[in-house]
Amino acid sequence: MIVGERKPFEEIMEMISPYKKVLIIGCGGCVTVCLTGGEKQADTLASQIRLAAKQKGLDLTVAVDCITRQCEREFVDNLKEDPKQYDAVLSIACGAGVQFMSDIFPDTPFLPGLNTSFLGYNKEPGIWEENCRGCGDCVLAWTGGICPIARCSKSLINGACGGTDKGKCEVSKDMDCAWYLIYERLKARGKLDELRKIRAAKDWCKDRGAGVRRLVLKEMVEEEAAG
Amino acid sequence: MLDGDLTSKDVAELGCPSELMEREWSPCRHACPVHADVRGYVELIARGRWQEAIDLIRAALPFASVCGRICHHPCEENCRRWEVDEGVAVRELKRFVAELQGAEGSTVNKAAVQDKAKIAIIGAGPSGMSAALELAKLGYRPTLFEKFPIAGGIPATAIPTYRLPRDVIQMDVDWILAHGIGLQTGVEIGKDKTVEDLRKEGFEAIIVAVGLAKSRMLPLPGADHKRVHPVMDFLTELAFDRKPDVGKHVLVIGGGNVAVDGARAAVRLGAEKVQMMMLEDEEEMPAWDWEQRESLEEGISFVHRRGPVEVLTQDGEIVGVKARKVTRVFDDDKRFSPQYDDGDVIEVACDTVIMAIGQMSDNGFADDSDLAIDERGRLSYTPATQQTNAADVFACGEIVTGPGSAVEACASGQRVAKAVDLYLGGKAIEIDDTLPETFGKIDEATAQKVTKTTRVKVPTDAPEDRKKVFAEFEHTLDEASALAEARRCMSCGSGAEVIVDKCAACLTCLRVCPFDIPKVTDVARIASNLCQACGMCIAECPANAIIARGWDINELVDDTAKAIASMDGKAPSKIVAYVCGHYASANAWSGSLEDGVPGVAELYLPSMSRLGANQMLKAFENGADGVIVVASQIGGDRYPGATERVQKRVEQVRELLGEVGLNPDRVQLVEAANQGRAAMREAMAGAAERIAAC
Repeated sequence: MIVGERKPFEEIMEMISPYKKVLIIGCGGCVTVCLTGGEKQADTLASQIRLAAKQKGLDLTVAVDCITRQCEREFVDNLKEDPKQYDAVLSIACGAGVQFMSDIFPDTPFLPGLNTSFLGYNKEPGIWEENCRGCGDCVLAWTGGICPIARCSKSLINGACGGTDKGKCEVSKDMDCAWYLIYERLKARGKLDELRKIRAAKDWCKDRGAGVRRLVLKEMVEEEAAG
Repeated sequence: MLDGDLTSKDVAELGCPSELMEREWSPCRHACPVHADVRGYVELIARGRWQEAIDLIRAALPFASVCGRICHHPCEENCRRWEVDEGVAVRELKRFVAELQGAEGSTVNKAAVQDKAKIAIIGAGPSGMSAALELAKLGYRPTLFEKFPIAGGIPATAIPTYRLPRDVIQMDVDWILAHGIGLQTGVEIGKDKTVEDLRKEGFEAIIVAVGLAKSRMLPLPGADHKRVHPVMDFLTELAFDRKPDVGKHVLVIGGGNVAVDGARAAVRLGAEKVQMMMLEDEEEMPAWDWEQRESLEEGISFVHRRGPVEVLTQDGEIVGVKARKVTRVFDDDKRFSPQYDDGDVIEVACDTVIMAIGQMSDNGFADDSDLAIDERGRLSYTPATQQTNAADVFACGEIVTGPGSAVEACASGQRVAKAVDLYLGGKAIEIDDTLPETFGKIDEATAQKVTKTTRVKVPTDAPEDRKKVFAEFEHTLDEASALAEARRCMSCGSGAEVIVDKCAACLTCLRVCPFDIPKVTDVARIASNLCQACGMCIAECPANAIIARGWDINELVDDTAKAIASMDGKAPSKIVAYVCGHYASANAWSGSLEDGVPGVAELYLPSMSRLGANQMLKAFENGADGVIVVASQIGGDRYPGATERVQKRVEQVRELLGEVGLNPDRVQLVEAANQGRAAMREAMAGAAERIAAC
């Protein structure tokens, strides 16, 4: 899932400083699951902003709303507050949500309350870790379920570099060398042959190489009304 | 009708979340014949809210004080705490609060206007008075006709004072009558007036609530001796301070509760030896278990499987009772059908006999009336409508239900009031007796995780002392014991409920629950029959998707705002202390302690598990200079893990405060709630100083 982290508080205050009436909108999707962008976190941020505003003698009204997801049209109808009534919206959805909502309300500044960071998993309660880069051409079938694009610091495809050090990446002793992990897992399964197979070069067009990507499922696309 | 998952729409349509409590009743409430909100009043008692507690009890149970002494407490029998350690002593709690408040301390909800029909009620016992109360509240004008000089029924005329003192009964009688009910004592219907006279006096409906005031007797040879007492007469003599004629060696015939009352009264009258002889064996003996145990402690012995045949006299005195062996009491269909072996006969020595083999109704009320009594002495009666053969004459209580307890009589009286109201309103008498569902026993897995406690011991006088006097031998709990006992309640059914359309299945509730109750598939679901209502998940849920059935989570913020506002201009600082109230006195909870720290308002919670980070921030938003969180030490909290969780939340709030430019030391955590008031006060004072220094 998408993991985002709340922006530094000072940066948020800076972003909203031109405004007097701000609406914070939470998102019930991924950012609720990683406990940074849900309705509760919107309430927390609103309290903090009000306290800071009082400290600084600012004239600032803050309201809170939350919808199931900010990346889909139909959920927007569930807003109780009207963004157009505010000077700005501070959205604590992921970047996809902030942008989608911004497109729906083009005349209202939609500010990002989070830094959207990565696709990841919940390692243990309170800790999330990146393990997918959305490269669009998944190699997990022959790397034993360990992604070298996300978990190798250099996103190497052909095995460890010379910096691998007793299973750790040269970047940091706390960081595993992804290729070391891949090698050990395939070895344990008796599948090291996978690494000896010649494969075509990775098509980076499926990643960012060809610009904005799109998924089209034709059976779900609604036809334009015939004339 | 709410069934299954709860949605935002459902919540919006509720008047308040506590309406969810009506979906399922806790087993205590379900088992109670009048369906008092047991969980509700025990919770109020736990917080020292005495008046609200007695009012909630009396909303369902008019005879709160009487039942606090004599109720057979089906609520306790069904308490789910038995699966954990021991059930909650509900009756003792009821007694505590009912007697503390008395009649004056219980709110009277008299109808603004009583101008509807006059209704006559024959018999001022529990069923009749309960019917009168309901009818008075509906605006009718009920009058009770009681043959004895006092109201109260069997509790007043036949329950010995060691079990039920007179002033306790009077609390209930006074409170009930204060609702606008007429009482005429010393009037026996059938003798002084007839049912027809009542009709002529303008009573549009009549309720027969005469109970079972007569003793069943056996036509035994010798049973006409003056020292053979029908038990009801015997007990009534005592009730009116007359000393019945008993010798040194009393034999009570019978094994039920009334027989035990007779036996224990005989002990207190000075009999040297008291025995109870009955058809039943030990298993079958019908008296309540605790009555049996207390009787044995007082030196009474039981003779099982014997039936009396003859009262033996010599020189004009009773010398014994001839008794035959009983081979069987109940037949294969469990019906009462005793069989005897007349070849096995013994003589039980005694000089006094008390016949306590059962009760029957005194049907004198029906004299010179159109009421039909059958050949077995039973009043004609239709249970569904509670009408007799005369449409305007109804019946309730033991005369139609058979022997029962006071609370069962109250329930019968409450129902007949509904029937009479429908009748007088010209409607068909159709009463819906269905009840909400209840839940079964608590799972062993959950029960194991609940912190074990011990049930309160009721202060009880030793048998050798108590058997000499008719004074009460079990004493009312003191405040500390009552609070501790009430806090053992698991608040069944009042806990967390997930609003499924807001839930993101983030698993947080599952992870923080100390009892492993949430199940998360597409969304989280929390079993209402297992949830301990600690509130931990509610404070953590990132989607605000969990509400509490039994309380409003916004109340704490509102109470905080009020507390801060009340300190405006009066105090050196405005600090809010959230205090774990699990060990606190009633005065602490009600804010009436006089040794508070100046500038610190104390707000009590059942556990710190309920206090979330946002609520602490809101205190600052509402003008607090600081927040002190007074938790119990780890291991002393009501719910496992509560203090550890609160430690993390306080750390989080400190960081959040720092981010907005406020000194993190404005939030202080002290772990002193279980160390007594003096230590707690000192800790709060220290914390207040640290806040002042910010």
